[in-house]
Amino acid sequence: MNPWETWKKGFDAWENATAQYMEQFLKSESVLTPSGALLTAAMKTKAQMDKAAAQWWGLWGLPTKRDQERLLHTVNQLQSKLLDLEEKLEAAQSKE
Amino acid sequence: MKRWLNLAKLPFMKPTVGATPADVVHRENKWQLLHYRPRPQGVAFKTPLLLVPSLINRHYVLDLMPGKSFTEYLVAQGHDVFTIDWGTPGPEDRFLTFDEITDGYLGRAIRIAGRAAPQKKPHVLGYCLGGTLAAIHAAAHPDSMASLTALAAPVRFGDEGLLAAWTRTKTFDVEMLVSAMGNVPWQLMQSAFHLLRPTLNLSKAVHLLDRAWDDNFLDGFLALETWGNDNVSFPGAAYQRYVEELYRGDAFARGTFTLSGSLARPQAITCPTLAVTFEHDNIVPAASAKALLELAGAEDKQNIHLPGGHVGAVVSKAAAKGLWPQLSAYWGARDGAVQKSGARQARPAEAAKVRRKSG
Repeated sequence: MNPWETWKKGFDAWENATAQYMEQFLKSESVLTPSGALLTAAMKTKAQMDKAAAQWWGLWGLPTKRDQERLLHTVNQLQSKLLDLEEKLEAAQSKE
Repeated sequence: MKRWLNLAKLPFMKPTVGATPADVVHRENKWQLLHYRPRPQGVAFKTPLLLVPSLINRHYVLDLMPGKSFTEYLVAQGHDVFTIDWGTPGPEDRFLTFDEITDGYLGRAIRIAGRAAPQKKPHVLGYCLGGTLAAIHAAAHPDSMASLTALAAPVRFGDEGLLAAWTRTKTFDVEMLVSAMGNVPWQLMQSAFHLLRPTLNLSKAVHLLDRAWDDNFLDGFLALETWGNDNVSFPGAAYQRYVEELYRGDAFARGTFTLSGSLARPQAITCPTLAVTFEHDNIVPAASAKALLELAGAEDKQNIHLPGGHVGAVVSKAAAKGLWPQLSAYWGARDGAVQKSGARQARPAEAAKVRRKSG
C-alpha cells in the first residue's frame, strides 16, 4: 500500500471518530442551551431595533417595510384566490 | 499531473445543472411548475409523476447534470414528469403559511400534473421536506394522488438527532427568530446542517484531492457542491409552524396536525405508499422516515431501505443502478403502460442522448 493510501485510511478513521464525538458534544444540553439563548438574545435586539425604526418611520405617516410586505403578501393571496376561482369555473364548465 | 491541473481549473469550472428540457406550465407567487418534455418516442405510462423537492433546496438536485440526472432517467423511461421549483421567497413571504404552501400551492401542482391522467391523479414523489408536505397533503386529501413516494422524508420528529435536539431546545425562541428575520435565512439553516458533521468539509477536501484526476468524479462533485451552496430561505410563518407543531409537537405522527382547518391524520392516507430510507442519513434518520409506513392507512405499503446518505444515495452512480430503476418499476406497476413496447431500460448515458435530441 502506498503512503497516501495509508494516510487516507488513517484520516478516514480519525474523521469518523471525531465526527461522532463532535455530534455527541454539539447535541449536549451544555452547548444547545447557551446557543439557543444567544441566538434568541440577538434576535430580540434586532426585533427591537426594527420596531424602533418602524415607529420613527411611521411618525412621518410613511408605510413601513412590514406594511409593504403585508400588502405584497395580500396581492399574492389574491392571485391564488383568483386561480382557485378559475379552477372552479373550469370544473363547472366541463360538467355542463 | 492531471490531478493538479484539474484542481487549478476547479475555481473556473461551472457545471451544467438542471439541464433536462422543460416548459413552465404554471407560475404563482415565486413557485413554478415545470413539465419535462417527453422522450422522442412519447410517454410510456398513463399516470404522470410530480416531483416535490424540499422548500429550502433547489429542485435541480433531482436533475443534477446530464448523464447523472434522476429526472432525465425517468423521462428516458417514458414517464411524464413534472417538478415544482419553489423559487426564492421574497421578504413578503414571511407571512406565507404552511397551509398556503401545502394545501394551496402543492394542491394546485397536483391538480395540474394530474390533468392528463385518466383518473386525474399523478404519482407524487416528495424528497426530504417535500415528502413531508406531500404526506400531509395526502392525509388531508386522500383521493388526490395515484401513489405517494416519500424519499428520505421526515414524518416522526421525536428522534434523537442533532436537528431535532436543536429545535427542541427551550432557549431557542422560534417566534422571536421569525419576528426578527422574517424568512429564516438559508445561511442559518446551512450552518445547522454543517454542524451535523463538522468534519465534512475537511473530509470532502481530502477526497477531492484523492480523486481530482477523475474528470467524471470532478463534474459530479462540482454539480453537487453548486447545489449544496445554492439554498433558499424558509418562509417565516411556515417555518414557525413547522418547528412548533411538527418538530416540537410531533403533531403529524400524533394525528393532531391540521391543514387549512381540516385534520390531516396519516391514517387517512389510502393511496399506495412507498417510503425510501437510507442507512446513513444523518439529516433524516431512517426511523423518522419509515414511520410513514407504520402510520399510513394504505393497504399497499412498501419500504426501500438502502445504504448511503441523505443526498448521495439519491444522486450517486449506485442510485442510478439501484434506486432509480426500482422507483420507475414501482410507478410502472401501479400504472398500466400504454406503450409497453416503447419503454426501454435506458442507462443514464443513453438518457443524455435523448435529452440532446429532444432539446
